[in-house]
Amino acid sequence: MAAAAAEATIDGGGKMIILISADGKRFEVTEAVASQSQLISNMIEDDCTENGVRLPNVDGDILTMVVDYCNMHAGDAAADGDTTKASSTEELKKFDAELVQALENPVLFKLILAANFLNIKSLLDMTCQRVADMMSGKTPEQMRETFSIENDFTPEEEAAIRQENAWAFDD
Amino acid sequence: MPPAKRGRRMVDQDGGGGGDRVGALPDEVLHHMLSFLPVRDAVQTCVLAHRWRDLWKSATGLRIGSDEEDTARVREIREFVDHLLLLRGCAPLDMCELKFWFDSDEDDEEEDEESKNDARRVNLWIRSAVASKVRNLVLNNICSGSFELDDLPLVSRHLTRLELFNLELTNRFCNFSSCPALEHVKIANSTVSCPRIISSSTGSLLRLIITRCSFVVGTSFRTKICVPSLVSLQLDSNSKTPLLESMPSLAEATVRVTAGCSDVCGNADSGYCGFEDCKYCYPIDDNRNCVLLNGLSEAKNLALTAECKTFIFKRDLQWCPTFSKLKTLLLNDHWCVAPDFHALSCILKHSPVLEKLTLHLFSKGPEHKVELNGSFGLMDRPTGISERLNIVEVKCKVVDENVSKVLKFLCACNIRKLTNCS
Repeated sequence: MAAAAAEATIDGGGKMIILISADGKRFEVTEAVASQSQLISNMIEDDCTENGVRLPNVDGDILTMVVDYCNMHAGDAAADGDTTKASSTEELKKFDAELVQALENPVLFKLILAANFLNIKSLLDMTCQRVADMMSGKTPEQMRETFSIENDFTPEEEAAIRQENAWAFDD
Repeated sequence: MPPAKRGRRMVDQDGGGGGDRVGALPDEVLHHMLSFLPVRDAVQTCVLAHRWRDLWKSATGLRIGSDEEDTARVREIREFVDHLLLLRGCAPLDMCELKFWFDSDEDDEEEDEESKNDARRVNLWIRSAVASKVRNLVLNNICSGSFELDDLPLVSRHLTRLELFNLELTNRFCNFSSCPALEHVKIANSTVSCPRIISSSTGSLLRLIITRCSFVVGTSFRTKICVPSLVSLQLDSNSKTPLLESMPSLAEATVRVTAGCSDVCGNADSGYCGFEDCKYCYPIDDNRNCVLLNGLSEAKNLALTAECKTFIFKRDLQWCPTFSKLKTLLLNDHWCVAPDFHALSCILKHSPVLEKLTLHLFSKGPEHKVELNGSFGLMDRPTGISERLNIVEVKCKVVDENVSKVLKFLCACNIRKLTNCS
């Protein structure tokens, strides 16, 4: 079995592996695509992807996005210094921007969790950057509003914390 | 009222709301997310809710002065940054970007004293970031005035990337021998008064970019770049060209001698007289040595251009090394001087495996009006030029008299079929 798999790698230029979402959806991707996830990359190294990789905390709709992202970015890392890839840099940026801009907050957070669990640094950075962009330049009140954060401080508690951190509040 | 409050609080702390709330993200993710915020916004999240109260202290990155409004003079952000760094302690940092505005007025005594205090403070902040095991460190003086970094080498097992803008680097600061993980260094718009730029002996430093910097190290001395592990070098020489020591792993290098270069001989119109007692041509401590070319001799891809009458390349060609691995070479008109084209022919003869030659003639690019492509005629090859040279590109604005002379020279070297493809 292992020998056959090794042969497939040589023939096809990329062995396929199956990712299985929490709700049982199956995604067939090349090892190169899946390896952008450090978690899966480690599993490939340890030879334990034979029967598919079950991802019990990633839903099918989120995994669809993750797989799209990884397909788009495959070869990114490998092509370091390869100028033929440069032409698609703009295209990638556009794809990334559209991917995160369109997301409702709850979906964005699920995507962050998936990127964190799968350990895909570029996707985690991009999605965290999106959250930070939504917070940046806002007052705490506006931040609470943007993310429906419930203020669970009593007015006294909040006043005390503001006082404690006054150095960061008086501009 | 108190019980109800507590109840709500507990819901929040377990990440209530079915995981669809920002506060439900794990701590490590929020620490990472906060690192993308300007640091003042990150700290202000402490009043959002209990969940957020101390998260900022463990943010994995600090962007100090990164939003323009916040980019204030050191004096104005001093209190803030002091509080920030003291209160966050030494939680590990993946990234620290410190942008500040520093200028000094030495004529005003009181002001000068304050500036010195500011400078001491910024240097202390840098040490604080290093103590927090920072991996990527960016220091940027927004004001182009000079900010002098402490004359102390950086010591860190964690630092991998260092970027410096608008600073004054003195003596030992460029001794990176105590940063064994350092891979990437960029120095821009800075004054480098260091006798040596040294990497650690474990050889981690792979990329070095030095751009728009002045090297100032006395009259008869040059800064030496001693980074044997280097794979990629970008250097534009603005003052006294630094001396490159051996770099056996070098894959690519771009060296541009700009109009601001001080390596120009005032005794000869050609920019080089070559007399050993010339104070311009021989201010080099080791007289019998190349400044640039020896260090570049192992490169696979080279771009060497000069925008003034510098003698650096001409002088180096006296001891021209063999570029035994050189595949692609880009030169500009500085190398193509009629009638004998000595420099061009010399470097071609010392590049035995060259595959591609590009000449930018009196046209800086990136867009060139005229592009001519040619190839090497194999039939009757002249002696000494690489047999593998199969692509020759000439880029210019217009094929004028000067360009024609170069083309004639190339034809004489058996480079044929120069056709206009623009």
